[in-house]
Amino acid sequence: METQAKRKIDFSFRDKLDSAVEGFRHNYCYQCGACVADCPAGNYSESFNPRLILLKALLGFEDELISADSEIWNCTNCYTCSERCPQDVRPVDVIIALKNLCVRAGKAPELVVNVSDSVLQSGITTRVTSLAEKRRQELGLPPIKAYPVDELIKIVGKG
Amino acid sequence: MKYIPFFGCMMTIKYPWFESAVRRTLANVGVELVDIDGFTCCPDPIYFQARDKMEWYTIAARNLSLAEQAGLDIVTTCSGCTATLSEVNLVLKEDADLRANINKRLAEVGREYRGTINVRHAVTVLRDDVGLDKVRETVKHPLNGLKVAVHYGCHLLKPSRVMRVDDPDRPVILDNLLRVVGAEPIRHEMTLLCCGRACMSDSIPDDMVTDILETIKRHDADCMGLICPTCFDKFDTGQVLLERKLQKSFQVPIVYFFQLLGIAQGLDPKDVGLHRHKVKVDRILDMAMA
Repeated sequence: METQAKRKIDFSFRDKLDSAVEGFRHNYCYQCGACVADCPAGNYSESFNPRLILLKALLGFEDELISADSEIWNCTNCYTCSERCPQDVRPVDVIIALKNLCVRAGKAPELVVNVSDSVLQSGITTRVTSLAEKRRQELGLPPIKAYPVDELIKIVGKG
Repeated sequence: MKYIPFFGCMMTIKYPWFESAVRRTLANVGVELVDIDGFTCCPDPIYFQARDKMEWYTIAARNLSLAEQAGLDIVTTCSGCTATLSEVNLVLKEDADLRANINKRLAEVGREYRGTINVRHAVTVLRDDVGLDKVRETVKHPLNGLKVAVHYGCHLLKPSRVMRVDDPDRPVILDNLLRVVGAEPIRHEMTLLCCGRACMSDSIPDDMVTDILETIKRHDADCMGLICPTCFDKFDTGQVLLERKLQKSFQVPIVYFFQLLGIAQGLDPKDVGLHRHKVKVDRILDMAMA
């Protein structure tokens, strides 16, 4: 964080993060670093560090967090940090809140947009193929049932 | 013992032989699966949760409400589905305001989440409801001498506040189940490491998977044993891709626990799809044929 002094601290970002589900939990972080030691993404890269992601959130370094190539997308969602955190920050959930803000800002990786669009368009993350139907038949499994996409459209995006 | 099965997208479409293994082995231990109509994707805990957590809650609550209507607990066989349905079920049971908000959305399609059922991973049904002794009674061909490197995967255990399956740092559930089928569970330094599937970087999961596979080879295990189709994808197909990329050979066979149980129960290896793996599983097939 050498260049920290040159960055603009913006506490209003904390309000923005509070507006995302579970985002408020970043306020509980006192930067103890218990989340760091067993973090697999952290142990396998120079740059990933859940404590620093929380610090950037607390200081409002929005540009570094809210983008499609932000470090947050390297979180493996393993939840080890949530096990270690003494403050119930649940860092994975804060990272997910940051991801929700990325999507809201149109700054999510294409893969995230495509897979989640697929759920709303077809009811599943992938596509039903004739090979899948054939394999299921060979195994004596029930045929794939229709996915009620019409219901999904009605229940999302409300409230 | 009746449950509603929730197999999820990946198992239904990409790995139907895992579904076959689950259906057949659970039937053998006296578990009845009651299929219902109308489920969608759980929805997926990585990409869909990253999209919009309220929508994630809503779609999961809709799936849960279908099982509630049928009045039976859900049994899951994919760690991703387990993660989504368990977390949303717990959060909605705990948070009345959120529940009311979600129910407003569900009312659009005449549904309601009430919080009346539980979500159970199939391995917990074996341990807690069927009982390990009963499972052992169904084993006709114990896999004696098969050394299985245990891979827990993250979402069966964590977050433990939600999952409540086993100690996330010292789990024993899969080791004990492997012993029941006669195999020898092999613990290694990387038994609890994540498969890295959710990570957007290439290098982080590549290095993790390499380390795990090399560690398993060092421990002379015959295969890796796991219970999550996403981990399976990362270690089976992913292993072949990684071998090409790194010009290395690992050749660590990967098996889904219910395949091992099926083989031990005397099922045809084809019915549990052992011949469909990208990394060949000859030793286990030999045992099955013996």
